[in-house]
Amino acid sequence: MRDIFLRWSFWCLLLLIGTAIFGNRLFDAPPEREVAAPFSKPLWLDRTLPPTKEIRLSPESPSLLLDWHYAPPSRLSIRVEPSAGETGRFVLWRKPETEVPLRLAPLRGGFEADGRDIAFKRSLGLPPFGDAAASLFSEQGGYELSVSGEGPWDGDVVLKLEGGRWGLLGTDQRGRDIASLFIAGVQVSLIVGIFATLLATFLGTSLGLAAGYLGGWTDSVIMRIVDLLLSIPLLPVLMALAALWGKGLWQLVLILSIFSWMGTARTIRALTLTLRDASYIEGLRGLGAPSKYILRRHLLPETLPVLLATMTLGVPGAILSEAGLSFLGLSDPRVISWGRMLHEAHSFGAFTAGAWWMLLPPGFGIALLCLVFLDLGKFLEEKVDPRLRKGVRQ
Amino acid sequence: MNYWNRRIASAILVLALVLVLNFLLFRLMPGDPVASIIDPRFSPEAKEQLRRMYGLDQSLPVQFLMYVKSTLSFDFGISFLTGRPVMDELRSRVPNTVFLLGTSLLLSSFLGTWLGMKAALRRGSILEKCVLWIGALSFSFPSFFVQLVLLMFFASMLPVFPLRGTLSVPPPSGGAALLFDYLRHMALPVLSLVLLGFGGWAIYVRNLMVKILGEDFILLARARGLPKKNILRRHAFRTMLPPLLTIFLLALPGIVSGAVITETVFSLHGVGRFLLEAVTGHDYPAAGAAFFLLALLTVACNLLSDLLYGVTDPRVRLERGNR
Repeated sequence: MRDIFLRWSFWCLLLLIGTAIFGNRLFDAPPEREVAAPFSKPLWLDRTLPPTKEIRLSPESPSLLLDWHYAPPSRLSIRVEPSAGETGRFVLWRKPETEVPLRLAPLRGGFEADGRDIAFKRSLGLPPFGDAAASLFSEQGGYELSVSGEGPWDGDVVLKLEGGRWGLLGTDQRGRDIASLFIAGVQVSLIVGIFATLLATFLGTSLGLAAGYLGGWTDSVIMRIVDLLLSIPLLPVLMALAALWGKGLWQLVLILSIFSWMGTARTIRALTLTLRDASYIEGLRGLGAPSKYILRRHLLPETLPVLLATMTLGVPGAILSEAGLSFLGLSDPRVISWGRMLHEAHSFGAFTAGAWWMLLPPGFGIALLCLVFLDLGKFLEEKVDPRLRKGVRQ
Repeated sequence: MNYWNRRIASAILVLALVLVLNFLLFRLMPGDPVASIIDPRFSPEAKEQLRRMYGLDQSLPVQFLMYVKSTLSFDFGISFLTGRPVMDELRSRVPNTVFLLGTSLLLSSFLGTWLGMKAALRRGSILEKCVLWIGALSFSFPSFFVQLVLLMFFASMLPVFPLRGTLSVPPPSGGAALLFDYLRHMALPVLSLVLLGFGGWAIYVRNLMVKILGEDFILLARARGLPKKNILRRHAFRTMLPPLLTIFLLALPGIVSGAVITETVFSLHGVGRFLLEAVTGHDYPAAGAAFFLLALLTVACNLLSDLLYGVTDPRVRLERGNR
């Protein structure tokens, strides 16, 4: 068993679990916070686009030079914190190669404006349509933002520029950071995958043991149900249940597990059938051991190694089903999951915006998680049944 | 009972259980199914009339019988959302779903079988490795993700294929132009399903083939000096068919489920997307009808391949029939 440390999937799973637990500490804002303009590209993608940034003026540094080599920012907002007393100061904006600066805002009493406010644009002498950002950043070169005039000043001036670039993976249609959404999605996929499979394994084992050991009517009823559930398309049933029962995370776990125990039940039943007639079990029965005792103390432990392998191999199915349901829009919109991210990319305009960075991270995340569990499952299966190992002739 | 009758009987049993499941899902769920269309301002008589119209004033067993009777005559009632008979909405959608699944299934099974046999014959070659990798990847990538990526690159960034729909709006006039437009819209969905499906087929075929080629009767055929092509076609391929059909049977429900996702991704006018819209809109008659049709499609394909199984493997017929 020690060679599990040599498997890449083991370390990958540890890393993913670590990310699920501690990942939110990598970001200072919660994932649902809108941090930048919608559909911002990743920082490394297009260097002609302006980055999203905040410029701050304070009494210690009353003026700032800004070297601008990008297109105008998509949105701009300015906030002037209120200063004590009457003050005749103004925030000034000087464009490259012009002498006379523009009066952006008065300093007294506090001031807050968005680039789209009509009053703000009128005070700058701009037409009432469009964003002030385009005309304030109409050229490339050195800009100067400064505070001038007489009077007391103790608050800060903050100019917020929203460019088309943000973070490692850009932003989605609401301006949320995709990198932090992606990290938040690990949690949901792991929780749903693992708990749904645990529950399904529990169901499958109990039903499989019952069918195999008791035989007769119990067996045929259970196996008929298995046949039925394996021969109809289950996604529509899952969709109906998800839509009718509510969309919470734990409801989803429950729904998924109710409809994925069949494989385990079959395997365990087959195993029980071969064990039931083994001579030591027959001996126990001859000694008068009750079925309950035989099942719990002898049959269940025998099936455990097989169970471990089938369980690990079952996780990808649950993860993919959860992702599918969320992709169809049948999950809780407040719970961030990879499927949900793909749903939002599909239905909220990522295609018209060409925002492929919304698409690739969640998809590759799902695939990676599935591959990890498949590889681990294969490893466990080989442990249980050494004939499957490479190089061993069957 | 001989083999054929047993297969047909079991298909009917599955269908009966589907009916029960359908009734349980869409009629017995918490909440009054009609509540979504009853306006609180309706008079009590109007409410009563609506209930009578949907048969909700009867007892449950009577409701079930009424439901079975109407479903089997393809009368699925009136949609809560559109107020039109559900069957009218579905009639134009069924051919699209059948075309989508049928074409992609045929193409991917042919391509997969061909590649799988090639891979089994040339063990250790690059082709075999490629086949194994593509198969493994197609199991772990979610289908809708692959389709979304294809849509993004071949419809949005490089506008080779249309972004959505089954036909252009408005549809072109003239038979040939209409057919071309339809095929252009269906090309990417079908191609994506083939891309997702053929890897799995190829792996199964390769594994079966490798096993069969190691069997004694192949060795005997080779020893008899039969031409290689002959051995492959008459002996190996023939032996592979029954287990391949079994695998197809197991995969079938998943393939039909895939229609829901594919039709949603490509916004196709099919049964699957209708089901999604009905489910999210709490339109119970419509959702029940769509689910029933999808299940019926599965059971029909199931029966068909069961019967094919009997044709390809004579042992099944004799063994069971003589008992």
